[in-house]
Amino acid sequence: MCEHDAKANCFEYIDSQMPRVPLDLVVNGERVHEMIDPAMTLLDFLRVTLKLFGTKEGCREGECGACTLIMNGRPVTSCLILAVEAQGAEILTVEGLSKDGELSILQEEFIREDGLQCGFCTPGMLMSARALLDRNPNPTADEVKEAIAGNLCRCTGYKSIIDAILSAAKREREALRNG
Amino acid sequence: MLSKFDYYKPASLEDATKYLNENPETKILAGGTDLLIGLKNKKVRCKHILDIKGIPELNKFTYSEGRGYFIGAAVTINQISEEKLLREKYPAISQGADALGSYQVRNRATMVGNICTASPGADMAAPLLVYDAKVHIASSQGIKAVDLCDFFTGVKKTILNPKELVVGVSIPDVEKGDRSVYLRKSRIKGADLCNVAIALRINPENKLSIALGAVSTIPMRLFELEKETAGKDLTPELVDWLATQIKTYINPRRDSIRSSPEYRYLITGVLAKRGLLKLIDKEGA
Ligand code: FES
Ligand code: FES
Repeated sequence: MCEHDAKANCFEYIDSQMPRVPLDLVVNGERVHEMIDPAMTLLDFLRVTLKLFGTKEGCREGECGACTLIMNGRPVTSCLILAVEAQGAEILTVEGLSKDGELSILQEEFIREDGLQCGFCTPGMLMSARALLDRNPNPTADEVKEAIAGNLCRCTGYKSIIDAILSAAKREREALRNG
Repeated sequence: MLSKFDYYKPASLEDATKYLNENPETKILAGGTDLLIGLKNKKVRCKHILDIKGIPELNKFTYSEGRGYFIGAAVTINQISEEKLLREKYPAISQGADALGSYQVRNRATMVGNICTASPGADMAAPLLVYDAKVHIASSQGIKAVDLCDFFTGVKKTILNPKELVVGVSIPDVEKGDRSVYLRKSRIKGADLCNVAIALRINPENKLSIALGAVSTIPMRLFELEKETAGKDLTPELVDWLATQIKTYINPRRDSIRSSPEYRYLITGVLAKRGLLKLIDKEGA
């Protein structure tokens, strides 16, 4: 296989045909039970099996952060995790950020601050940001940068993303104060 | 498709070593941040994946006075980074953990995985080397402890054989006043592999320990250079001398895509000086 063969590098899931294994986990608050291919990544499981296309597929090797989701409270790159490793896990993807059709504060701030252009990095950015604000509701700009250092964006130049996260942090703190 | 493999997650060390004995072509999975890339790029092929995260001993992360730390093979880089006492006592190790990959990767990657992959620039290697870390290796014959400085044998090669697995790493306790620092140079600030990495440590008896990463085929401890400093005070003059001498101990690759040997020679001296001055600085504080 040629390394530069576009087809070979194109991310199309191919079933390994290995015997299926059971997987039980919670995705965005819902229990999921599936018999799965042991050689499939968590990213493939979401996109191929569950048809949740919010989590994006960029590099498939942990470099771009497009596939970031929150697993048991921590942001991780789902392309580097086997689906079977998520046995019993709680997963939050970008689809789980909005409630009853209403965007979360974080999502609203990304829109207001122009924190996205093509939007491909956005789900990953949002999940890294969500995890940051959960562990640190009042981050500095440097802490925001460190939290999204593993998320590449080819469009915005990052400034608007950092601003969006900082202003979401502020609004979330206010919302908490005002009950 | 990553490869054609099945997946086994044992709940005991015994089951794990037994499995390794009976199943050649097994790859050990801890954080997976190196393994899954290898599988995706077809650089690694295997028939079986052995997930070690369910083994209790490998999740141990303990400190006891006089004995120091034991860090199990399933402990993640961020767990290490978040451990306050470790940061106080072994700053270079925490700084190495902070430097590795991205935040997401650090949530999965493990310290033991980092040294088992044995990349010359492994961020955890140099810091562990200056603390005389030992690697605890299990096989069906039992557990043995090996000095980390004898663990690496070449680029991405270690003394481990396919029937062995690392249980964890132990780090001897340090006295009050023990100081250390880890510095690295990468192309960009943020998540990047390093061009040169250095760990420096000085104990209360003024004994200096030096280890380097990414400047040879393996991460290495500079015992010879350390010997030459024995009994001497770490003065600015000695720092200058060390920063020049250290370059004679390295052997950077000519074919690296990240930087030329000339650049690495230069930066090794610069980082050595910067780090040593940091150690002197803290003395006054
Ligand atoms: S697709 Fe997972 S990090 Fe790029
Ligand atoms: S908005 Fe296009 S990659 Fe970030």
